[in-house]
Amino acid sequence: MMSAGFITLFTREIKRFMKVMVQTVVTPFVSSFLYLLVFGVSLGSQVQVHGGVPYLAFLIPGLMMMGLMNNAFQNSSSSIVSSKFSGDLEDIRVAPITNQQIIWAMSLGGVVRGGLVALVTYVVGALFYYFQQGEILLIEHPLALMYFVIMGGLIFGMIGIAVAFWANSFDQLSAFSAFVLLPLTYLGGVFISVESLHPFWQTVAKLNPLLYLINGLRYGVLGVSDVEVSHSVILSMVGFVVFYGVSLWALRKGSFQRW
Amino acid sequence: MTLPLEIQHLKKSYGPVDAVRDVSFEVRPSEIFGLLGPNGAGKTTIISVVTTLEKPSSGVAKVFGEDVCANPMFTKRQLGVVHQEVINSGYFDVEEILEFQSGYYGLRKNTEHIHFLLHKLNLFEHRRKKVKQLSGGMKRRLMIAKALVHNPKLLLLDEPTAGVDISLRETLWDFVRELKKEGMSILLTTHYLEEAEMLCDRVGIINRGKVETMGPTKSIIKDFTQREMILTLNRDITVPKDMLLEKNEHTYRLLVSSGTHVGKVLTDLQVESAMIVDLEIKEGSLEQAFLRVLNTPEKSVKLKETHT
Repeated sequence: MMSAGFITLFTREIKRFMKVMVQTVVTPFVSSFLYLLVFGVSLGSQVQVHGGVPYLAFLIPGLMMMGLMNNAFQNSSSSIVSSKFSGDLEDIRVAPITNQQIIWAMSLGGVVRGGLVALVTYVVGALFYYFQQGEILLIEHPLALMYFVIMGGLIFGMIGIAVAFWANSFDQLSAFSAFVLLPLTYLGGVFISVESLHPFWQTVAKLNPLLYLINGLRYGVLGVSDVEVSHSVILSMVGFVVFYGVSLWALRKGSFQRW
Repeated sequence: MTLPLEIQHLKKSYGPVDAVRDVSFEVRPSEIFGLLGPNGAGKTTIISVVTTLEKPSSGVAKVFGEDVCANPMFTKRQLGVVHQEVINSGYFDVEEILEFQSGYYGLRKNTEHIHFLLHKLNLFEHRRKKVKQLSGGMKRRLMIAKALVHNPKLLLLDEPTAGVDISLRETLWDFVRELKKEGMSILLTTHYLEEAEMLCDRVGIINRGKVETMGPTKSIIKDFTQREMILTLNRDITVPKDMLLEKNEHTYRLLVSSGTHVGKVLTDLQVESAMIVDLEIKEGSLEQAFLRVLNTPEKSVKLKETHT
């Protein structure tokens, strides 16, 4: 896997999003800041979540995972779609790089960008938390946090790859974001604890796979979660295997040719 | 002898449309082979199959003896490709693009060769520019540099001089000749027939996905064109009507088949050497041959191959 082709492609992914820093890192910083200010600080004082955790603390890992998933997806999908548009995706197909190398390079690029956004969100959140609660928001389970950052980044990076190869236009790409990713994220327990829902809706919410990823990361940061952490660990592993297969299939069947 | 490129009975269909219908040809070591044809003849499709962008419907494409479908990692390393359309890569500058391209082929530290190519193609001072800041000619040269970063043994040039001005075109031709001299085998597709005539050792003319004729460039010209003989004499002679193009006083413009001996023509016309004031012979061009092949496909289907 660690061939020069893979390293080059991975480096290219990182350099690419660094070149459009404003869009890739600064924009998520602004949106996290606003979410934290409006929901965490202003509305948060009215909201009760289980386990006596302040709402602001509950919200921070949710926003971290939301930023991570969105950015990992955006990174691989917009990289591929813009390469389809400019034609340099053909260069990658013509070069001796395997589909596996493409998937790993692209999805690890997503992990780095998503991880960076999660880190920025954590730092901003921790500052708000410090001013509100007078104490530092410590990471309860760093290893669990790492696990869910990497898994979340890889899974959504791979979803991005699959969707970008499937998409025939920018419209289709944003349709997937708006009609699939966004609802699943908002209903996946970023802003609310599922325990506060009616039992029926609790059952429905638990069918949403994103709930497990979001709460896995929440466990990593706060040590609390709406779902069994072991379920989150297993489900993210399953998600990884499934989407690795899906993205591999998308690369085999999809076209590298220019739009 | 391992052939740099061998295409055997290649077919490629897109639904009901047959883009390539049973095409076979080869590129021999250190030769420039020209694949000529009108737009939509199937030239780019053949290149796409060789570069694995497209899978053939049937038939085989082999690069240095290996099937491109069975052993793509080997065949891709041997190939350099200059695509027909300019590739943009909006985020990066010229040098970064070439560094990435090297890396894709396993060369992580290739700066020396990249700088050599940049100098060679007069791009060195533009190495920090993005593609969109380059002129049309510079973009073309960048495409060529990109194809050569990994020292390929077989170069595929898909209409490399489309939309390029005449002076740059000549620079590129010189460069291609130099590459050939260094031992590179080259497949050139073009519809500039002058270009093919000057560069190619052998050509294949394809139309609607089929090879109409193939052979050494000179033989194709000889077989499908006629010579023009301009003969000025000191007195009048009788010339058969089908030979005579124009007569102006004692000057005759005659059409002579390329294979015919000049002496025999003069003897047949009963021209003695003392009668000849001036004699000029104009050879046919590849363009004339090309047009003849395309206009009379039924008569001209013949494969002229010199087996070595």
